[in-house]
Amino acid sequence: MHITVLNGNPHTDNNAFDGYLGALSNQLESHGHTVTVFTLREMDIKHCIGCWGCWLKTPGECITKDDSSVICREYINSDLVLFASPVIMGFTSALLKKIHDKFVPLIHPYLELVDGEVHHLARYGKYPMMGLLLEKGRDVDQEDLEIITDIYRRDAINFKTTLSFARLTSMPIEEVADEIDHI
Amino acid sequence: MKLTIFNGSPRGKCSNTRSILEPFIDGFMSTEGNSYELAYLIHFELRDEQVALFKNASHVLLAFPLYTDAMPFVVKSFIESLEPLCGEKCNPDIGFIVQSGFPETRHSRYLERYLGKLASRLNCRYKGTVIKGGVEAISMLPLLDNLFLKWFCEFSAFTDFAGVGHLLDKKKLVNSFHELGKEFGVSGEFNKDLVTGLTEPDRISAFSFWAFRFVVHHLYWNLVLRKNNAFAERFARPYIGN
Repeated sequence: MHITVLNGNPHTDNNAFDGYLGALSNQLESHGHTVTVFTLREMDIKHCIGCWGCWLKTPGECITKDDSSVICREYINSDLVLFASPVIMGFTSALLKKIHDKFVPLIHPYLELVDGEVHHLARYGKYPMMGLLLEKGRDVDQEDLEIITDIYRRDAINFKTTLSFARLTSMPIEEVADEIDHI
Repeated sequence: MKLTIFNGSPRGKCSNTRSILEPFIDGFMSTEGNSYELAYLIHFELRDEQVALFKNASHVLLAFPLYTDAMPFVVKSFIESLEPLCGEKCNPDIGFIVQSGFPETRHSRYLERYLGKLASRLNCRYKGTVIKGGVEAISMLPLLDNLFLKWFCEFSAFTDFAGVGHLLDKKKLVNSFHELGKEFGVSGEFNKDLVTGLTEPDRISAFSFWAFRFVVHHLYWNLVLRKNNAFAERFARPYIGN
């Protein structure tokens, strides 16, 4: 599989999280996958301003030139995209949300009915599966994890895929890699 | 009562969030003695002042649009800046308004659960979340320069055609939020009946969808795509291949 990892860790001093992702990437590559890791805090990503330019002016592309175009290309050509983040104030990081908002060009403004709900139409023929990898802090409980997972599951409907994987970084790397192998 | 309002729309002053906050504020201010402060979270450079505003407030209203099934980056970044205030004993009461372009409000229900938990994390008394769908329709109306189309939208709004026509009724939207603000100004709470009215519909029928889609595709997206000379490219797939 071609796997893209979005590292949403905003803290340069959180070496444990980056170290975990690095070791996981190596493990996945040793299992035969190709892995691209984006360390979002080191990239130039302007936040979405809701102008709809990516739908109505330059269809499929954000009108603001930044590194999000590189990530969008990688995203749509992946088999699995892993959204990785420490849980901050009960949700994935603002850093990860910033790039998440910029994936809007990957879908179409036109609408369709999916299981009786209004959703956007696919722009591409194929979308990657979504995975969630969270670092649980001391103030995070089971309800927080359920809320995050449910929201990502909903988001997967709009991004024409499923949330096929949701795990914590407290899980041994080998086990996470094995689970990804079996998706 | 003094209300501290945060507009969390990435569109700032040009936002649909502002269009619903303005009548809310008008209604709120109709009670003598009430006052408010309003901050736009898009002004990142004022983050310290915004956090201080929150810290010193007694009643807070945070309003924003739904972005990719959650809060926009602008709002999440503000929420993270409130982290040092978690558990403080004197944090303000807090209520939320979440609006989206989807005609049904069920899309925002999952985030509503998060907002309730956020209030408890901040040790704020939770006043509830007002959810409103189909708000993007009000951005569409000024674009119509064809008299027949204008009449068609007014007729749809007046008759609530297919159960979604009311989404084109800006006057009704303004009145609803004015009433909500007025009640809030008196009691300090969201009126449950008004909130329930605003959150309709939770789901829409296939016929309603057909009507909604016709209006959104033909009177909004296609109109703007043509104006931007981008209609032929509307199905572009610029990121195929590495």
